[in-house]
Amino acid sequence: MKAFLSKPAILNVWVSAVIIAALQTAILGYMIESRAAILRNGHDVVLQTVPVDPRDLLRGDYVILSYDISTIPLDKLVDTLPQEETDAQLSVRLAKAEDGFWHVREAAFGTLPPLEDGSVVARTQPFYFYPQPSGSQTALSVEYGIERYYVPEGQGKPLEEARNAQALSVTASVSDTGVMQIRTISIDGKPLYEEPPF
Amino acid sequence: MYRARIERDFNLWVEKGLLDRAAAGAMLAEYDARPSSFSAGRVLMVLAGVLLAAAVLLLVAANWEAIPRVARVVGIIGLLWAAYLGAAFSLSRGAVAIGTALLVLATMAFGGAIALVGQMYHLSGDSADALIVWFLVACAATVLFRSGALAVLCGALGWWIFIDLVFESDASLEGNGYIFLVPVLVLIIVALVRYTGAGIARHLAYLLMLGWLGWLYTEAPEAWLAATYFGIGLVAFLLAVLPFSPLRRMADEAGAAPAFYSFALALLGLIALHMEMEYLWQDVVIGATALAVSLAGIGLAGRLNGAVRFLGYAAFAGELLFLSSETIGSILGTSGFFLISGVVVAAIAYAVIRIERRLAARPATGTEA
Repeated sequence: MKAFLSKPAILNVWVSAVIIAALQTAILGYMIESRAAILRNGHDVVLQTVPVDPRDLLRGDYVILSYDISTIPLDKLVDTLPQEETDAQLSVRLAKAEDGFWHVREAAFGTLPPLEDGSVVARTQPFYFYPQPSGSQTALSVEYGIERYYVPEGQGKPLEEARNAQALSVTASVSDTGVMQIRTISIDGKPLYEEPPF
Repeated sequence: MYRARIERDFNLWVEKGLLDRAAAGAMLAEYDARPSSFSAGRVLMVLAGVLLAAAVLLLVAANWEAIPRVARVVGIIGLLWAAYLGAAFSLSRGAVAIGTALLVLATMAFGGAIALVGQMYHLSGDSADALIVWFLVACAATVLFRSGALAVLCGALGWWIFIDLVFESDASLEGNGYIFLVPVLVLIIVALVRYTGAGIARHLAYLLMLGWLGWLYTEAPEAWLAATYFGIGLVAFLLAVLPFSPLRRMADEAGAAPAFYSFALALLGLIALHMEMEYLWQDVVIGATALAVSLAGIGLAGRLNGAVRFLGYAAFAGELLFLSSETIGSILGTSGFFLISGVVVAAIAYAVIRIERRLAARPATGTEA
């Protein structure tokens, strides 16, 4: 084993310690603040959750959430499917319907322009697209980065049951760049978990 | 350990009258006085740091919802600051072992901090992204503190990124391109190794490169790629060992590793070429090349480099057994094949003993690598 600190460091060890600890603090702070900024400035959308198959997906202490906007029917697509397998990301326009929930109005592999009609544009997580034989594919399955919700140990079960009974709704905040964060989780319209920004 | 071995040899030489007892004592005293010599306490301190860091990482799964979220974040960040400032304090007092242990603890805890913050704030992110941020911060810490232990941690994180990309993110040639970062990680780790002098991390880096090349071949199994591995490996090996090579001096500074890993790459290329071949005569040509390369490796670098010698013997024996199973084995049947294998292995053993004797008898011409 060679000496672990055989040669002198360039900077004083105290300066080094402060630089590296400040750098780590800044990275963690950036992670927290970029989420808080979405909750502060984003547009709220109310989403209907759908049952997840297999039904018991409580992994450790988080609940898997799936939404009706997680399935994009191909007839909502305003541009064409890629011809070859590729990394892809969808833009999805969400609009409020009469039932109070926000649903998919249109989707595109490219970008969608912001409109002044109260709709918002969300970006999906990147996914890998495999072309299917024509006609065999009718919908795309996508994620928005709000599919996991960590709950205190032992509290996941009621959420799972409500989700499977379709009584669970989620209010999410969408940033101008289309990133989503969960703001509120409600059962039968009554808020159960409300997320403070910090 | 080297210390025990050298003392045994000294005793033997003193008994035979080859070495003065006072000189042997002085040499051992000089060795013990070196700051880098083995100390169980120091190793245990580093181990303690690793264990504590593991405990911190396990907190990710622990049940601590009772504390408000902001307090938890402040606690995590406070822990990082305390560990780094504690490390600075220890290092400035000359307590290198404790300081190093704290540095490792803090840098490992940062990975746990990213995971904890991600979980507390429901941030869904790519695990590869988080690992890369962690790796880069660990590299910055390695440079700032010029710490060999942190360089080893960087080497391990490089492996973690590679494994995550291949097994968790299903990396492919057409994917998001992260997998092509691995050679860059290797370069960074090698640079850190040269800067800090942490020899262990060098092996992590070279093995990572070989692992990545192996992955690349499984994704694109082409004869030209296998041939390229063989060619580059052979050229690099010759550059590292030939006496008139311009890179010889640099390779020697890095010890046995450059010759060994370039030799291993050439053999990896030959194995891949075997897989590409369809006809027996092609396998025989590759096999004959492999035998020649093994012998050349032993002849050129085997005397000074035990690792290359061992790999050369292993490749030679493996290749001969493969060739005899492909050629004679199909004619003789199973029992006949075992008979011929026994004869072949005996012949190899005889040849190895002869080679070892010749290598030992020849007077040393170069300095020990």
